[in-house]
Formats: sequence, C-alpha cells, structure tokens
Amino acid sequence: MHTKDQQKGYIAILGWSLRCIDALERFDRRYVIVAPQWAEDYATQHDIPFISWDFERLNDRSFELATRLNEMGVDVAIPLFEETVEWAGAVNSVLMGNPRLLGQSMLFRDKSLMKRRAQLGGIRVGIFEEAMDQTDVIRFLKRVNQTLLKLDGDPNDPIHFKAFDKAGCLGHRVIRSPDDVAAIADDEFPALLESHLDGWEFAVEAWIKDRKIQFLNISEYVTLGYSVFVPATPELEKYRAKITEQIEKLIEVFDIDFGFIHPEYFVTNDGTMYFGEVAYRPPGFNAFELMERAYGFNAYQALVLAFDPKATQEELDAFFPTPVKDAKGHAGCFGVYPRRRVVSELSIPPETENDPYFEFHELAPPMESKVTKRTAFGTHWGLVYFFGEDPHRLRDLLKAQEDLDFYL
Amino acid sequence: MTTSLQDDTLDPIMRSFEHVLSQLSGASFAGKATYQGRMLDTIKRLLKHPSGIAAIEPRIGELEQAGIFEGTDWAVPSSLVPGMVGNTLRMAEPRTVALECISLLRFLAAARDEKAQPSLPTEHARHFLAQVLALNLDRILGAHHEAARIKAGELDSAVDALLKHILANVGTEGILGQLVDEVWRILRQRPIQVDHVKSMILQIALAMKEEGQSFSASDTRLGADRLISALFGPTELCREDPGLEVYRDRLGAADTGTLQAEATGMARAMHDTGLVSDYHAAFLRFVLESGQGHLVSDALGLSSTGLDSLRCYQALVQQLIEVAVRQGTAQAVLGIALMLERGILYSPPIAPSLWRLLGARLTPTSESALIAAFGADPTPHQRLVAGVMMLLGLPLGIGQGNNPTCQAARALSMWALNDPDYLLWQLAQATSNDRVIMHFEGQSLDSALLPAGLALHTPLDADPVSVVLVPHLDRIYAEMGRLVAGRGEDPHRWINPELHGWWVGREFHIAVDVATGKLHAYDQFIRDFHKAYHPFHNGNEPVIHPQPAGIAVTDSQGSFIGWHAISIIRVALDQSGVMRVYFFNPNNDSGQDWGHGIVVSTQGNGERLGEASLPFEQFTSRLYIFHDDGLKTASEVPVDEDQITSIRELALQSWAQNRH
Repeated sequence: MHTKDQQKGYIAILGWSLRCIDALERFDRRYVIVAPQWAEDYATQHDIPFISWDFERLNDRSFELATRLNEMGVDVAIPLFEETVEWAGAVNSVLMGNPRLLGQSMLFRDKSLMKRRAQLGGIRVGIFEEAMDQTDVIRFLKRVNQTLLKLDGDPNDPIHFKAFDKAGCLGHRVIRSPDDVAAIADDEFPALLESHLDGWEFAVEAWIKDRKIQFLNISEYVTLGYSVFVPATPELEKYRAKITEQIEKLIEVFDIDFGFIHPEYFVTNDGTMYFGEVAYRPPGFNAFELMERAYGFNAYQALVLAFDPKATQEELDAFFPTPVKDAKGHAGCFGVYPRRRVVSELSIPPETENDPYFEFHELAPPMESKVTKRTAFGTHWGLVYFFGEDPHRLRDLLKAQEDLDFYL
Repeated sequence: MTTSLQDDTLDPIMRSFEHVLSQLSGASFAGKATYQGRMLDTIKRLLKHPSGIAAIEPRIGELEQAGIFEGTDWAVPSSLVPGMVGNTLRMAEPRTVALECISLLRFLAAARDEKAQPSLPTEHARHFLAQVLALNLDRILGAHHEAARIKAGELDSAVDALLKHILANVGTEGILGQLVDEVWRILRQRPIQVDHVKSMILQIALAMKEEGQSFSASDTRLGADRLISALFGPTELCREDPGLEVYRDRLGAADTGTLQAEATGMARAMHDTGLVSDYHAAFLRFVLESGQGHLVSDALGLSSTGLDSLRCYQALVQQLIEVAVRQGTAQAVLGIALMLERGILYSPPIAPSLWRLLGARLTPTSESALIAAFGADPTPHQRLVAGVMMLLGLPLGIGQGNNPTCQAARALSMWALNDPDYLLWQLAQATSNDRVIMHFEGQSLDSALLPAGLALHTPLDADPVSVVLVPHLDRIYAEMGRLVAGRGEDPHRWINPELHGWWVGREFHIAVDVATGKLHAYDQFIRDFHKAYHPFHNGNEPVIHPQPAGIAVTDSQGSFIGWHAISIIRVALDQSGVMRVYFFNPNNDSGQDWGHGIVVSTQGNGERLGEASLPFEQFTSRLYIFHDDGLKTASEVPVDEDQITSIRELALQSWAQNRH
C-alpha cells in the first residue's frame, strides 16, 4: 500500500469499482469507499476502508452520510456512477458548506433540466421536449419532420428518445416511425425527446479545478454505442480550440468549480457545435482505460486530484501530460453485442485476435443462450481493446468489428 | 530460430504483453483480479504463436511476481495435483487453460533451475512434470480421441506443443515405462499409420541412450528394447544400426545361412511388433535384386497359406515389392505379408486389379494430394501402392486421422475386408478420372460435381488410400444426406446400404426418435439386437458381413459426446466365456473409456488385430443404430427381462440420460 499523506485531502468514493480502489491503493490520498452492502465482505477481507450504504433513493439520510463523512474528516465525495451523482452533490454541499452543489448535481441528473440550463446559457442544443406518454412522442416526431418540410410518405428523420436519469445509452432509442413508438413501454416515461443531429458525434472528458480545465480529452466515436478511441483523429482534434471554448461555456453555465465532466457534442459539417448532454462522473465506455493506455496516467487518480480541495495547481500540472502530443499511440475499444438470437459460446474472430492492434478483451462467456432482443441501445456484453499508432487504421478496424460475430 | 515472419506477428503480441504485465504488476491487491483476465488472454495469444512458448519462458518469474496466480488455486505450486492437469487442459475455458500452461512452465523453470522457485525443489518439479506427461501421453503421441476431436478447443494444438516442449526438456525418464506400455497397446491394434508411434520410440531410444543406467526396470527395458530393435536393428547384421549402405554391403558379403537368419529375424521382429524396419525393406530389395527370391517367403514370415499365395502369384508379388517396398514405405512389407495370408489374391478380380494399379498413371490432382500429405519421395504412385498393400493387409488398421470422416474410413475398411475388388475399382476411378461415381436409389452421384462434405480439405494425416478416396466418399456421403434430408427419419437407414454395399442389412433399427431425440421403443430395440446378433438368441448365426452400426460415444464420465460410426465384425465368446461384440472403430485408437466401467478392450479378450471389443451388454448399452438382414432366425430364444433392464439402466445413466 502506498503511504498516505495526512496533509492532503481525504476522499470518499461513492460507488464500487475495483479499478478505482486499485488506483487509490497506489495513490497518496486517504480514502473511504461508500458502496452497497454486497461489497462489504470483500472490503473487510481486503482491509478496504468501507462504509456500507444504500443509494437506491436520495432521501434525508444523505445528511446522515454527510455528517458521518464529515466527522471522519473527509474533504470531498466523488461519484463513480450516475446513481451516485446527486448523493455526491448532497454530501459535498454539506462537507464544503456550499448548498449550490446539490442543485448543480440535480441538473446533471436530469437530462431535460440539463438541456434547458444549457440553452438558457446560450449553448446551442437541438430541438428537445419532455414526453409523458406515447402520444407526446408521436407528436414530436411529426412536428420535427414538418419543420424539416417533409411531405407525407417521405422517410422521417429520426428522433431520439432518452430516459431522463440513466447513464449513457441505457434506455436510448432511435424513433423513426409510429411503430417504433408503440414498442416503448409505459414505465420508460417520462423521457426526453431530441431531434436527430446529423454530424460527427464525440465526447469530451474534462478535469476541472478552480473553474479551469486541467486536462481535456476528446474521445472520437466510430459508431455511437459501439466504439470509441483516444486521442481523436487529427480531423477532429483540429476543433480542439473550439471545443475548449464550449467546455469553458459549460463551466460558466453550470457553475462548475471543480471535478470531472463528460459531455457529448455533435459537430456539423459547417463546424457548428451542438451540445448533447453532460455527466458529472467517469464515462461508461471505459475511456479511463483508454486514456491510461494512450497517455500512461491513471484517470481515477486524476479524478481525485480534480475533486480534492487540497490539491495544488503544481501537483495538477505535474500530473497531466500534454494532450495529443504526449500520447504514445491511439487506444480504442469496441462494445460487443451478440448478433445472433441464440448463442452458445464466446469466440474471438481470428481477424480480430490476429490484428497487430488487438490487445485483449473483457468479454464474458454467455450465461444464457437466448439473446434478449435489443430494443434500445442496451448494455454491451463486454469490451474489446485495441492500441496502435495510426488513428485512421484504428478507426477502420473498430468499424470493421461491427460485422463480426463474437458470440456463436 | 524463429523466422522474421513469425517475429513480425510476435511483436504486437509482445507489446500488449508488456503493457498488460506492467498493469498487472503495478496493480494493488484490489486490482490484481481485474487484470489477470487480460493477462491470460495475452498469454493465450502467445501460446498459439509458434515462437510464443520461447517468448513466455524467460518471463515466468516476472509473471508470478506480478501476481498471475494470486488468489487462484494455482497460487501454491506445491499443493497442485498432477492428476488434475490433464482435465483442466482438456475441458476448461481458455483462460484457465492458459493459466495451467503458465503453471506448467513455472514447474519447468523450477525443474531446470534450483533458484527459480525457492518453494519448489527441482526434484519435486521434475517428478510433477513427469507425472503430467505420463498422464497425457495421448496428447504427446498425437493419438486423437473422438472426444478430444469433437470438443477441440482453440488452445489444443498449443497445449500439445507445450507438452512436447516439456517432454523435450524434462526427458522421458520416469515416464518411459508408461510410454512403452502405451506404444505396445497401440501397436497391438496394428494401425496402418505408425509415424507417431515411431517418433515416440525414437524418443524412448534417445532417452535410454542418455539415461541407460537409471532405466533399469527389467520388464519395461525388455519391452522398450524390442520396440527399438524392431525399428533400428532387428537382426544380427544391423544390430548396431549401421546405416543402410553398410547393411547392404554386409548382405553382399553374407553367406546363405546368414541370409536365411536375416530373413527369419526380420520377419519375427515385424510380426512381433507390427513395425517394419527400413533394413527389412532393404533386405527384401536385396534378395530380389540378387536373384535370391526364395528368401522372400521367410522374410515375410509366411505361413503355408501365405506361402501358397506367394507361389501362385510370384510375379505380381515381386512387382508389388519392387514398387511399394522402399525406404519410407517399409510398412508395406507387413501389408503384403498379411494380404498374402488373407488369401484374397485367389478371388479372380484381385490380381488383375492390382496389375491395373501397378500400371496406373495418377492424375495431377491425386499426385499433388499425395505429395502434400507425404512428400515426393517415394513417388506418389509408390506411396499409393504401399498404401493399398497396408489397407488390404490390415483392413482394421485404417484410421480417420483428425478428420470428421468416420463414415468414409469405415467404408474403406469394410471394402478392404469384404470387397477388395470394389475398393480397387473405386481407387482406379479416383486416380484416373478424379471422380468417384456411386448410385443412390438409382440416381448416379458424381463426386466431381458435388460440393464439399464434412471434411473441408483433403485429409493430410491419413493413409495414402484415404488421402485419395476420402474427399470423394465424403462428398457422396454428404450428398446422400441431402437427398434424404426431408424424410424425417435417420438418414443412415438409406445411406448405409447404398454407400457401403448390398450386404448391409436393409432392416434398420434405431433407438431414438429422430424428431425429438428421445428414446423410442428402447426395450424392443435391445431385444431386436439380441435376436439379430447374439448367438444364443439368433440360432447361433455368426455375423456374415461386417455391418455398420451407430454408437452413442460417451466420455470417461459417461456423458454423451456424439454419434459415431463403427462396424460390427463378429460376436463370439471370449476365452473366459463372456459373449463379446468385436467391432471396428475408424477412430485412430479404439482403446477408449466410455465411462461407468465401460472400457473398450483392444487386446487380451480374444481380439484379432485391429478389433475392439466389449461384452455384449456393455456394447448394446452404447448402441443406437444397427442393421439386420431380415432373415428369419432358425430358433429364436427370448431375451431375459433382467438383461434388458440392466442394459437400459447403463444407457439411461449415460448418453440417454435426458432422452426418456
């Protein structure tokens, strides 16, 4: 175990992640893991500082947690998962004596509020609306396509249907016709509807301290929900200055003093940036792993530095590399969904495994043979990792994975 | 040394290896488990690479330090059990197999270097590896079991290579005894292909030369000596393996008595082991070239039957020896000897068919297939003639190699046994026209026009006749399958008689309902089989022609593996009065453990060369298809209900477990 520096911050992590614990074990900050009870045995066995907590519903107990952490001398709470973002907001507002943090975290948790706030702040967003039921969805689909001057019978431009408070692609559907609407279950409402933006979608990971961007990474999506790589191609990186401006705007509008954000944008052919959404937690598609591979720094430790009120600017400067320039290569990953309805075994296609860029996979053998039909962008069955020098080759390689069967 | 091509493909794997290894070694206890999986994936890729083992070996210490074994059952090497290794290598999912491989390499490091593993004494490590090797001889011997072939995992050949690597490093001491027994067990089945056996005998020979002193167990020593001398020095004039040239010189200078002794000595060694030395081939060629043909019969070790055949067909046999018996095809000597003993030359079409074969010119396709499998020397034609001799001499010695073509191998064996004339006709079609034409219910099927069957490419690990004929037969078999696909019953009902020959019984019995896969009228099936084949129940009628039958193959745990084609050769009492079914399994090694005490015997229970056998009840419990000629038996004896019940129970405990 790394020696802990008592002069530096004391961190509470909200959520259970072995990778994160591993990073903290090797870092000089004291820490405590706040996670559900099922992890307690493991934590006790391995001497991991642990508080058992039920994050199901944010309730009055958030104050109890905050008080407890405060008494321990904890300086800040860091959320790992979407569900713990407002818990962190509530706890931090107590720990730091800043009630605004709770409200801010609520903005991050509600996609509709988030968009409104962005729009109010002068950030460009697509057309969006809240939907309470299926009729709302159909009306929005029609209205958007009327706006686009489509005639009856023309193929519709799609719209996007997203759960308010779920991470990433969970509950995300693309709606093209009223038939698609009929497939949405009642319990998926309320939801956010958005017009489809034609353009290049990408994500940003930004570590912020003292309202200043400390490190900004651009993650290029090859296909949304399937693949991403880091750093982006030069074609996307050429927008870095513009993107930095956008992130600074976000910092203003959302009043972000510190922490880590993970927004998504579209850039259209004419270079206009459209804001999609922003999360105040590590990205789901394991961009942290990719950054570690490309740059060699541990993104969880970076997270701690960005949240720790006792971290100094010198420490941060020494920690972060120079974007793009310091990358040893490009790291990408591909999320695998079974393509067949019935699968019996995991089988890495030889063309994948024999590719010089292939590194390893984290795919699990199938638990059951029947594949649930994918209605929304569901959860992938695991990730396949690649690393190489040429971003274009990597991009094409990731794209090619979409036509391969990993489960037979 | 590795070639640059291999290094090109090794580099990217090594790059991942370095990265993941640094992640694993840097990880705290909490992160170890999350990085072990990817480390094992990288190791798996390395294992599959031709120079992978060499790349991993020097890194074993680092891998262990980094924590590859941490938190697993492999964490404490001294508590590992050799008996469990084989099963893990065979059955486990690839990451566990990779971990087991790393564990073996850790033992190897310890066996070589006292300092590599302080907790693992060199002696213990060597002993552990020797036990692992002895328990996994089948993999080292390259004998492919049905079970292994069907369940072939992606790492199987990598594991085979690793075991051979370990064998090369640890040496054969300690496992020699088991090795020798295993070689004898295989040889008693008289396989046509003996290359893997020969390479094992070579290993044994080298090991004995090195460690002659410590290798003293007398029985084993004797068994090993007989094997080695049969290959490398069967007689007085070549006892010390002087090389063919010296041997020929000595023959030239030898007197009549010595030559006579050489002839009988050669024959004795050959019939004792089933192996033919290259010296034996040289001897035969010498006596023919030097006009001493009278020594041929002694050199072949013929009985009065064989001798008579030889005398009747002297010119033909001499020509066959001239073409087929060469350095590299010495086994043909055994084929010729046993063919003469079978007396099949007396059947009118055989001798002319063999003359046709001797004069045949092979098509370029046949030639290139033979060259791909065996190389260009001896020539493809010589190779093929030698192959025909071996097949006609040892009809039950044919094996399917590592190919899913048991049907074709079974057909070849059946024809060689029962209808050699037809076999030679099929071969002539293939070698002169690149096609085999067979008929199915009146419709002609031309293999040249049919798509590929079960085997995706020409089998390279089979005997010469199979190399030429199996691709054709396999296509025809698959086409017959397509033609009957819609009939809703097991296709073999129609295919077996049409593919193999008129003598296959047209009455078809199957134990399962084809639509559901469930047992169907199973008791009746058992009763019918007794009435058709059991001499006590069918009026003591012997099996007249070899009959195809279908077996539900089970593994040593008794779990179902797959359906397999065999042929029933005879049913008879063995020397201890047990009624046994003697059958041919086209699989390369018939001695298999089918679980629940059902172990197929290949020797010692009245088997003839190449036969496998089981007591009638045990055999019946794994049977699911058989044919019957439909003739009324003279005096039927009813079958005891107890007998049926005990057979049913054996089936229900194993392959039929979920089928009732």
